[in-house]
Amino acid sequence: MQVVGHLLEIAGIGRERLQLRWVSSAEGQLFAEYVTELTQLILGSGSLDRERFKLPLAAAKQALQAPPLRWLMGMEKQLTERENVFHEKLEAGSYHLILEQRAEEEYQKALLCETLREGPKTVRQMAQETGLPVYTVSLRLNHLERSGLADVSGHEGTTFKFKLLAA
Amino acid sequence: MGVKFEPKILAFLCKWCSYASADLAGVSRFQYPSNIRVMLTMCSGRVDPVFVMEGLSSGFDGVFVFG
Repeated sequence: MQVVGHLLEIAGIGRERLQLRWVSSAEGQLFAEYVTELTQLILGSGSLDRERFKLPLAAAKQALQAPPLRWLMGMEKQLTERENVFHEKLEAGSYHLILEQRAEEEYQKALLCETLREGPKTVRQMAQETGLPVYTVSLRLNHLERSGLADVSGHEGTTFKFKLLAA
Repeated sequence: MGVKFEPKILAFLCKWCSYASADLAGVSRFQYPSNIRVMLTMCSGRVDPVFVMEGLSSGFDGVFVFG
């Protein structure tokens, strides 16, 4: 849930659109209070513009399906409280940092995949459409190329165009 | 705006805790907004992060998970 919140935030959709609360079966009153309170919160955020956030929504969903991220999720206790075979432990802070970095990376890669779905594009076009810096696009594109998901498809003048390989 | 904005909210309720509490809220006639659409799960741990994104991209303005 922490990862989804982080993704919603970097996607510009808003962390508050996902809420987690604990209610036991004896707390009907509490349930009613939470629903009232949280509905007011969503009311304040307004309607979610699905057309505008089409790309980020699709990318966040794809990122959450990425195996490296799924392997990391929910491993907090294992990695921060129990040791590995070398008697090493992770600090809780570094675990969360790794998780967030990994989520952001997967999100950016998914964002590129989504834009390339429409057809071959240059790095600058991708940067413009995704709002990511050109350097970040190059880095993530390099990852995609190495994992066999994207490749050069041709030139536009002296600039390379990239395409998505069937995944 | 003529019509007041009514958010559509997807709520995942755990069968053993929050679903029962929602039931209790109903039986005890506590008032709460009717914006939530309830999805019953056997455990709130069953809620995959992908479900949340699927909900948001298929028309909901917010997602609640009650455990």
